[in-house]
Amino acid sequence: MFVLRPACVHDLPAIERLAAASPVGVTSLPADRQVLLERILASENSLAAEVGFRGEERYFFVLEDSQSGELAGVCGLNAVAGFNEPFYSFRNEALVHASSELGIVNHIHVLSLCHDLTAHSLMVSFYIRPDLVDTPESELLSRARLLFAANWPARFADTVVSAMLGVGDKEQGSPFWDSVGRVYFGLDYHEAEALCGARGRKFLGELMPQQPVYVPLLSDEAQSVMGEVGDDSLLPYDILSREGFESENYIDIFDGGPILLGRLSSLYSVAASCVLPVEIAPSAGECELFLLANQRLQDFRALVVPGVLVAGRLQLDSEAVAALGVCAGENVRAVPLWQTQERSA
Amino acid sequence: MMFIRPIRFQDLDGLMELARSAGVGLTSLPVNEERLTRRISRSMLSFAGDLERADQGYVFVLEDGKTGRIGGICALEAAVGLKEPWYNYRVGTMVHASEELGVYTRHDTLFLSHDHTGYSELCTLFLHPDYRVNRNGSLLSKSRFLFLAQFAHLFGKITVAEMRGVSDAEGRSPFWEALGRHFFSIDFAKADYLTGIGQKAFVAELMPKHPVYIDFLTPEAQAVVGKTHENTRPAVAMLEAEGFRYEGYVDIFDAGPTVQAYTQDIRAVKESQLLSVVLADPLPEGEHPHVLVANTSLSGFRVVMGQFPQDGTSVLLTPQAVQALEVNEGDFVRCVPVNPTEKIV
Repeated sequence: MFVLRPACVHDLPAIERLAAASPVGVTSLPADRQVLLERILASENSLAAEVGFRGEERYFFVLEDSQSGELAGVCGLNAVAGFNEPFYSFRNEALVHASSELGIVNHIHVLSLCHDLTAHSLMVSFYIRPDLVDTPESELLSRARLLFAANWPARFADTVVSAMLGVGDKEQGSPFWDSVGRVYFGLDYHEAEALCGARGRKFLGELMPQQPVYVPLLSDEAQSVMGEVGDDSLLPYDILSREGFESENYIDIFDGGPILLGRLSSLYSVAASCVLPVEIAPSAGECELFLLANQRLQDFRALVVPGVLVAGRLQLDSEAVAALGVCAGENVRAVPLWQTQERSA
Repeated sequence: MMFIRPIRFQDLDGLMELARSAGVGLTSLPVNEERLTRRISRSMLSFAGDLERADQGYVFVLEDGKTGRIGGICALEAAVGLKEPWYNYRVGTMVHASEELGVYTRHDTLFLSHDHTGYSELCTLFLHPDYRVNRNGSLLSKSRFLFLAQFAHLFGKITVAEMRGVSDAEGRSPFWEALGRHFFSIDFAKADYLTGIGQKAFVAELMPKHPVYIDFLTPEAQAVVGKTHENTRPAVAMLEAEGFRYEGYVDIFDAGPTVQAYTQDIRAVKESQLLSVVLADPLPEGEHPHVLVANTSLSGFRVVMGQFPQDGTSVLLTPQAVQALEVNEGDFVRCVPVNPTEKIV
């Protein structure tokens, strides 16, 4: 059974291995021991803190195989996307250039460097072992964060954002970067990503254009990948899209990948979840998979197990209840893993 | 004898013929009777002192004294941009640097500007191919400097001249293809024609308002920013010899350079002198530098060119010159050597 729990310091070597396997571009998961250690400590402090108003808290979770103790994935959730510094993105907006005299109406797209998403909460650092892609476990890893946020609404903003990796690969780099970022940085995509992963993204403000960039002037390759999801993010994109996240007009300033936005209260795992008591029962026939989370903070646990709803109580087997770290009769947050239309499909 | 004088209504037929021989290249000289009539009318009102500065435009023709034929045209605008905005791109520099990252990049950037508002302009220079002999080009072009010198109060402190930018044999401008086309959805010739005939509102409506990094233009376009069309290079060389300089302003359509000089610092303005007329028939033997000679009348302005001997107070003129200039012995005329290198003996 896989259980999601907060990361702790002795997870460091395993997290480091996962980070090394993660694709370039996940700047919030650099394979750098010091950076990762700081992330873990920050998460522990965040969970221990009493939060009157959200700020610098960053939560970091791991997916653990409870039998073997091996870690199979990591994910993070930041209370605000940019604390003490702006969270940069490009806003893709259309300017209408019209001349009634000439009968010309042109919609000219421009990319404006903006801080619009700074105050939203941010999902980061999603990485799961390849053999668990497109399984209930990958749903668990991504969506457990939403249940956590639903449990602690004061710790998070109403809107959650998540940046998808854009089109590009290790060999060829990013067409969007080559047309935009390279101009200002004079660096390769990988070099820039590495620098920003290790040393933060404050350089962006110094180096990126303060004036809007006219999209028609970019290379065709760059234009064609703007807002397109790269292969490495197809999984989170699929999961978050089903949750109700949408790509609006924001794209990543490095690779042009879309930034998804979702209103926490209307996302499926939040809106359809309910808080109800569990009871231990032997496995029943009419089972469906539930995404479950306890309501603890430092001892947060989430998992996906079969269960049965009986008269406002959720029946689980004893192993699941134990893995959740709750006692019989204690409330948990639960949501059917699949939405109705997915179950019928 | 060839001489320069203000244009008048009787010149319309001659002007139409000039316009026909100029072809489509010179948009300020359209083969359009109505437009040319209006241009003549505006010039005549300007010479009569009946227009405010914003509307004043002075047009001169080169007349062949023997035949009465019109051999060329040149003009001065008193002040550009006072009624409608006058557009240029200023080629500025933007530096993107981060000391910590060791990144330093420098970018030429096009800023839409109205910086030349209120400046005077040398414009509409065209010499019929039949008359491209005997320094007629110099007479035609430089006669305007004597007008600027004599009537300084009518003109701005700085005088500009827009040089034709680079285009290929089909009239396609690489700069336009890389930039303007995206914003105008019309071709260069049409855009150029529309501005030539004074329809400039569409420029403001359709142009990019934000600075444009030259890095985003095609290499072909980048290469022609501030470069003069091959056929116009002699004109630039002449203006440079007179003290005009390229100060980083280029045309918004073809990126041809605008050259500029403080009006009173133009060589032919600064070095021109008022001398009294002494009749000589014939002129004394010997080599004398070519000089331009203008009378001091506004509405009856005339300029001739010849190898007229002069000292610090007087100039020897032939009867034909005196007749063409409509002056008498003892009148003051304004003289300057045609070329900077030809010193007064």
